[in-house]
Amino acid sequence: MTRDRGRRQLAMMLAPYLLGLTVLVLAPFAVTVVLAFTEYDLIRPPRWIGTDNFTALAEDPIFRTALVNSLLFAAVAVPLRLTIALSLALLLHRRSRFAGTARTAAVLPSAVPEIAYGLLWLWLLNPLYGPISQVLRAGGQNGLTVFGRTPPQWLTDPVDARAAIILMSLFTIGETFVILLAVRRSLPPDVYELAALEDATGWDVLRRITWPLMRPVLVLLLIRDAILSLQFSFLPALVVTDGGPPPYATTYIPLFSYRTAFEYLRYGYAAAATAVMLALTVAAVALQWRLLRRHEALRDR
Amino acid sequence: MSGIGLELAGVSAAYRGTTVLHEVDLTVTRGELLVVLGPSGAGKSTLLRVVAGLQPAITGRVRIGDRDVTTLRPGRRNVSMVFQSYALFPHLTVRDNITFGLEVRDTPRAVARDRAAAAAAVVGCAHLLDRRPGQLSGGERQRVALARAMVREPDLFLLDEPLSNLDQELRTETRGELKALHLRLGVTTVHVTHDQTEALVLADRIAVMRAGRLEQVGTPDQIWRTPATLFVARFVGSPPMNVLPADGPLRPAGMPVLPAGARIGFRPEAVRVGQDGTDVTVERVDVVGEDAYAYLRLAGGDRIAVRLPAAGRPAVGTTVRCTVAWADTHVFDEAGHRTVLG
Repeated sequence: MTRDRGRRQLAMMLAPYLLGLTVLVLAPFAVTVVLAFTEYDLIRPPRWIGTDNFTALAEDPIFRTALVNSLLFAAVAVPLRLTIALSLALLLHRRSRFAGTARTAAVLPSAVPEIAYGLLWLWLLNPLYGPISQVLRAGGQNGLTVFGRTPPQWLTDPVDARAAIILMSLFTIGETFVILLAVRRSLPPDVYELAALEDATGWDVLRRITWPLMRPVLVLLLIRDAILSLQFSFLPALVVTDGGPPPYATTYIPLFSYRTAFEYLRYGYAAAATAVMLALTVAAVALQWRLLRRHEALRDR
Repeated sequence: MSGIGLELAGVSAAYRGTTVLHEVDLTVTRGELLVVLGPSGAGKSTLLRVVAGLQPAITGRVRIGDRDVTTLRPGRRNVSMVFQSYALFPHLTVRDNITFGLEVRDTPRAVARDRAAAAAAVVGCAHLLDRRPGQLSGGERQRVALARAMVREPDLFLLDEPLSNLDQELRTETRGELKALHLRLGVTTVHVTHDQTEALVLADRIAVMRAGRLEQVGTPDQIWRTPATLFVARFVGSPPMNVLPADGPLRPAGMPVLPAGARIGFRPEAVRVGQDGTDVTVERVDVVGEDAYAYLRLAGGDRIAVRLPAAGRPAVGTTVRCTVAWADTHVFDEAGHRTVLG
């Protein structure tokens, strides 16, 4: 009887969440998957065309560029973001005079609304009056850096523009940082004192104590960041680089889907691109998971 | 046993702006087991942490053996510490826990493993080497912590309430093993505890601490028989020593005239209950097996505790008489210091 009651309570408490999940996530997901097999322009009714969309995607050079851009972005940005958040957390977890201010500063960029953040960077990266370029040009002549080289052309050079999008993503690590900070603070202090008595170096402590103790959380954050990284790129690419420089240097899959759907009104095609992105995300997470499990099994032997 | 194992000279320490150690002077002979005894907040752990270098001394010098270590970092002092929590690494096996100190000092892995096995054998945890701390009982963890402390062959062992997380039976057993281990290894040891029995049983000498100062340093016999202050007298012994004004109703037979404000103290065992002496009312009697502890009220309202055989205990509410021999009486002056009468 008690068990029945417990279950009923559980069901009641879960109901609002499950309802939201169904209406807002699962249903659109199902619709997207179905639309991926149709041709649909929002005006005429969807027409079933089988796997034609996917065949077309495979041959679409723009989509391929977007795919490579997305993967490259994730491969570079995710490890960098985690490394920076972890470094900051390890650096700032102690009580000291400036740690509080520094912690706030580390979290602050993540609190800026995305559009405002994008517009801010549009100014920061401006080749003429943007402060970043000005700093880089300081001491140099004729608009060159001290070393006589052209400063990065953030908005017009394909490679520099990709770097700019990654650079922008490196400052929105507030959440990851806060989690890692809390985890580091929850580690037992006497374990660190023992390490001090054994004259363990900072590197030993990091490698043999901090890293293994924080690893479960780091794995979760890595997976989370990998999932989110494909979305991080959307707004900066839209607002700051507009998918360019031409032809498609910073067109990532989300931006590709967005343009295809809302500018070219090719809903079915966009849905197919989204489905591919989803499949890629799942594959990436599964791969990370397996690698880590294998690593763990090896280590525990 | 000769030479200095550890010497503190005028050592003070502060915690968050409050001074918690006041110019402590203390010498521990090489090979000696010194127990630092005191209530919580007395500064015992701080003393240990200052010796270990985990906390700085704001004044004074710390010497270990013939080295002045005051300014050395913890890892350079060659001390081992067993923490109250044991501080085992949860992610490492028992073997890797024990070899940790050797490995970070670049001992070859094979050598480290051999020494870990030997240390584990000494404390009786050799069968646990492949387990992780999470799979061990409290007593087993304690052994692992000990093995880890001794594997490096330090100049000094620091034990911070190592038995306080064990249950009563295991504590008594482990206490005996600690003593045997110390006799076998002969390493200078500072053992912190708030348990007076532990101190009396284990110690070569006891240092009684109170509010950041040393009250008395002496052998267990000296601490028991000639407590230097009222605090020591009452902290060591259970029930604590009875303390009364010297001019009160209970006058030990043969007591000379004492200075004004003096107080007398005598242990519960020293009181004889019988036909003559001072009238007292029996307020409460606790029987513990063969012994009985009677709490008696004197005419002036003072209470004393008395230990006597359970068979001869008085009934609650009755009036009996009691005496104390002058030879069993301690005298303290107004400030609480032991008075020696010439």
